[in-house]
Parts: sequence; structure tokens; C-alpha cells
Amino acid sequence: MTTLLIHLWVSLAVAAPPTGLTVEPPPHNGGLNLDLSWELPEDDGGAVSGYAVLRATDEAGPYVLVADALPAGTHTFRDKVTTDPRVDPLLDTYWYRIVSLELGAAPFVPADPDTPDPEAHASWMLSSFAATAPVVGQPRAVWINTRLGWLHLMALIGVVGGLMLYYARRAQQGEEIFIRRIPGIDAIEEGIGRATEMGRPVLYVPGIDELQDIQTIASMLILGQVSETVAEYQADLIVSCCIPIVREVADEVVKAGFYQAGHPDAYNPADVRFISSEQFAFTAGTNGIIHREKPATNLYLGRFFAESLILAETGFVNRSIQIAGTAEATQLPFFVAACDYTLIGEELFAVSAYLSRDPRLVSSLKASDFIKIYVVVCLLLGTLLNTLGYTYLVQLFTLGEGG
Amino acid sequence: MRRTAPLVVTFVVGVIMVGEYFIPHYRYRMITAELIEWGLVLAAAAFVLGLINLVQVNLPKVIRREQDWAYKLVMLIALVCTITAGALGGKDRLGDGQIYKWIFDFLFTPLNATMFSLLAFYIASAAFRAFRARNVDAALLLGAAVVVMIARVPIGESIPVIGDYLPKIMNWIMDVPNIAARRAIFIGAALGAVATGLRVILGIERSHLGSDG
Repeated sequence: MTTLLIHLWVSLAVAAPPTGLTVEPPPHNGGLNLDLSWELPEDDGGAVSGYAVLRATDEAGPYVLVADALPAGTHTFRDKVTTDPRVDPLLDTYWYRIVSLELGAAPFVPADPDTPDPEAHASWMLSSFAATAPVVGQPRAVWINTRLGWLHLMALIGVVGGLMLYYARRAQQGEEIFIRRIPGIDAIEEGIGRATEMGRPVLYVPGIDELQDIQTIASMLILGQVSETVAEYQADLIVSCCIPIVREVADEVVKAGFYQAGHPDAYNPADVRFISSEQFAFTAGTNGIIHREKPATNLYLGRFFAESLILAETGFVNRSIQIAGTAEATQLPFFVAACDYTLIGEELFAVSAYLSRDPRLVSSLKASDFIKIYVVVCLLLGTLLNTLGYTYLVQLFTLGEGG
Repeated sequence: MRRTAPLVVTFVVGVIMVGEYFIPHYRYRMITAELIEWGLVLAAAAFVLGLINLVQVNLPKVIRREQDWAYKLVMLIALVCTITAGALGGKDRLGDGQIYKWIFDFLFTPLNATMFSLLAFYIASAAFRAFRARNVDAALLLGAAVVVMIARVPIGESIPVIGDYLPKIMNWIMDVPNIAARRAIFIGAALGAVATGLRVILGIERSHLGSDG
């Protein structure tokens, strides 16, 4: 009986609205977000089971529902006022109201259950529950993200770029640049020579990721050098691609490589193949190439996932020399286990410069090495300072949100 | 001009796209969103070229009856059937009773799973070779792998005396040396990626245009 009375009291009680609603643009923001915050009513978590956020372009409305059933205890909300300003232009002002949802209240029943109607939903909420008075918010966009971490990153990229240009200039003036020997990269040329001697092709797999992935880009740069060397040796090259746009770029790169080596006639577009954009269909197709065309050397350079070991083991069974390179840490053990040489992480990005022997490119590696030293020093110093309670260096490397 | 134009386009687009990380203003993001959409359209158009390449590579081999031509014929027939079923099905091609959905559910999915399941056997054969203790490094690898493998299976904990310690040793291996090595790889790779990106944007790297640039 007591429970019934409590339930009846709760369901009849009119939940109080939140107070002190403020709407502010977040700092370092692109202008599409507004941060809402409010003070919770006394019956939060009791008669008030949650909150809804309503937005309008005019104080009088009509309001639309932008967030429903925020749980009790919620007192902040970030609203993205428009997802695409090209379609839904950004306005100067937006009006907001917060509704206290009552415990046990009947849910909103739309006229057409299949078509959400945020405006009718908001109107029903305003007529059924207590809500704050309308509060206006003005989006504000900033041009530069001035957070310390982002400024630091910007400075680092600028320094790397500057150092690259500086060392490229010095290399052009004839300065010798030392680069350590990387056996895996040396093996690429040996592998191409082996394929030539055996009269069998070289298989090149540029990973399975999209063209915009930096590992695929690095792979395309390496392919330029590889195709030039293959053309010089007058060997055959098969490129197996998983993404159509990657095939198109690979085709151009191989064509340029053969042209550069003085053997444009040896270039065969049918050797740069699109297999399938499905991961395992691509794997099956590439395995088929390994079994049928028996390449003497397999180069797996780019971003790989679960297919890495299937490809590498098939190549092992085929007795090909295999050189792999990826920055995908989860696939490195598979390549290490199944391939003759594996280029780990950053080595993949150094291959093109190393193979080209171009002083400008080799010198650019020196620039990134300086940044590496800087990062290592910051890591050691940051660990020490953080242990002693000074968090300045940690803040320097904390990006936070990008805006 | 043949070389300069791509370098200029790469520089301009590269700088704009890098700028996205540091310039949060929505008007700037509208420009980058537009550029990304152009990229998506180009990538989608490349599917048509990929299709043409697929036919160009495989059809002549079927006509000339080259080695394993029958597999290529099956592939071409599957290609035509899937495209036809998808085109005829239209927007409802993934609805119940549609041929396209049937192809997806009862041909593509099992074949995909079959390829993926091969991985288990390949892992076994690769592990067998990798775990031979030929030198100190390989012996360390073998030792760590044995501890992690035994600790991960229920029988590991029931081994007398060491059973209680195995999960702790495994956790230490996974959390300390493993994570340390992975982070080193990540940091190195990230810096390498930045350097590669800048080399391309600044026009220092021209391998993709032919090395004589």
C-alpha cells in the first residue's frame, strides 16, 4: 500500500525545471558547437528521471528535440548546431530550453511511428513537462587552435619541414650524408636480381588500405623505385592491388618507373592488377598469383591486416624470397615469422629514400632523426619531471580535442 | 609542366589538408570537406576502372585457354552474375528473397570465412618455424611465447606450483616489454609518417613521378 502511494505521489508530482541554464561556445572551437550547462533541480533522480534539450532558431520557437532522455545527474551537453554548414547554414543565434522529464510519464506517441518528428516531440514535451526559460547562444569560431599541445605539434611539423629543406639544400651542395645499412632494404635489390636470374616475376603487394593511408603512400613511393630497378634488370613485375584507386596510382607509378629506366616498351598494364576490394577475396586472388605465376620475390610493403600471414605463408611454401614492411604493429610478428626480411615501422618510410640514393631524400631522413632525438629526450625528461610532480612536459604533448 | 603541375597540386592540397588539424574554423572545414568529397568521388570512379582491369587481365587468359583458365572463367561469371543481381535488385537487393542477398549470404560469406579460418593453420606452421631456439633472441621469443600460451589456457593455472604465477608473468610480459616495444614502433612510425608526408608535400620526394625529378 505504501509503495503504491509513493508511486502515485511520484507520478503525480510536477518535476521542477533546471535552473541557471547557460549556453556558451566552447573555446578553440570551429563554430559548430555550443556548450550547455545547467544546475540540477532538487528532485533530480527522484521525480526528475532525466532531461531533454530543445533548440530553436527563434525565441518563440518552434523548438526541435536535439537530445532526449539524458540521464538524471546530467548537467552539461554539447550541441552540434549543424552537421554540414554547406547544407544547413550556420546561424548567428540559437535558443535553447532544457526540459525535466518526469518519472513514470507516458512516452510521446508520434502521429506516424515510422517518421520521427523532432518538432512535434519538442512541442509535446513543452506542453507536458516543466522547462527552463529560453536562453540564447551564439556560436563563435576561432581560426587557430591555440591549445599548447596543438601549437607545439604545429611547431614540430614546421621544424621538421624546415630541417628537411635545409639538409636537402646542403646535400645538393655536395655534402655527404651517412645512412645506416638496413639489410631488409638491401635485400629488395638482391631479390629483384634473383627474380631476373630465375626468370620469374617479382610480386609487389602495396597493402590493403586506401590510398590516403600514409603507409600506402609510402608503398607507392617505394613501388616507383622498385619498378625502375625491375625495368633496369629487365625482369617482370606483378602488382596486386586491393583498392581500385590504388591500382590506378600504382599503374602510373610503374609506368613512370619503366619509362625512367629507359624501357617503356617493357611496361605491361595487365601486370598491375586489381583483384578485389574484399579482404579475403583479395587474399585468395593474390595467393592464386603466388601459386600459379611462382614469383621469385614477394614484396609486401604497406598496411596489412589478417591477410598478412596467409600471404606470407603461401609465399614461404612457394620458396619465394620475401621482404615485408609495415607500421601495423599487430601484423609485424606474422611477417617476422614468415618472411626473410621485415622492415619495422619507420624503416618502411625510409625505403624510398634509401633505394633512390638521392642525396636530397637521404638528407631528409636526418631531419626526422633530429625530431626523434628530441622526442626521446622529452620522454626521458617528462618521465622524470612527472615523477617529481611537474606536469609541464606532459601538457606540451597533450592535444585534447581538435575543435 | 608535366612534373611541376602535380608538385604544385600536391603542395597546395597537402598544406590545406594538414591545416585542417590546426584551423578549426568551420569555413575552413567546409573547404577540406569538399576536397575529401572529391577524393571519394575519384575513388568511386576508380571502381569502374578496376572492373575494366579485372576483365582485361582475365578474359584474354580464358580465351587463350591459359593455365587455370577455368578459375578465371568462374570469376568472370560470378562477376557478371553479382552485378546483374545487384542491378536488378536495386535498392532492395539486400532484402529477403533477393538473389543478391542469397549470393552474399550463401556464397560470399562462407567463402570469406573459409579464407579467414585458414589463418589458424598458417599461424601454427609459422609459429613452429619461428619458435625454434636457434639463437638467444629466438630462445627468448620461444620462452615468452610458451609462458603466454600456457597462461592463456585454463590448464595453465592448474599446473602445480607455477600455475599461480603464470598469469602474473604473462601480464608482465604483455604489459611491460610488449607495450614498450609497441610504443617504440608507434613513435618511430609516426615520425616516419610525418617525414614521408612532408617529403611529398614539399616536393623533395618525387619517386612516384619518376626518380629524375
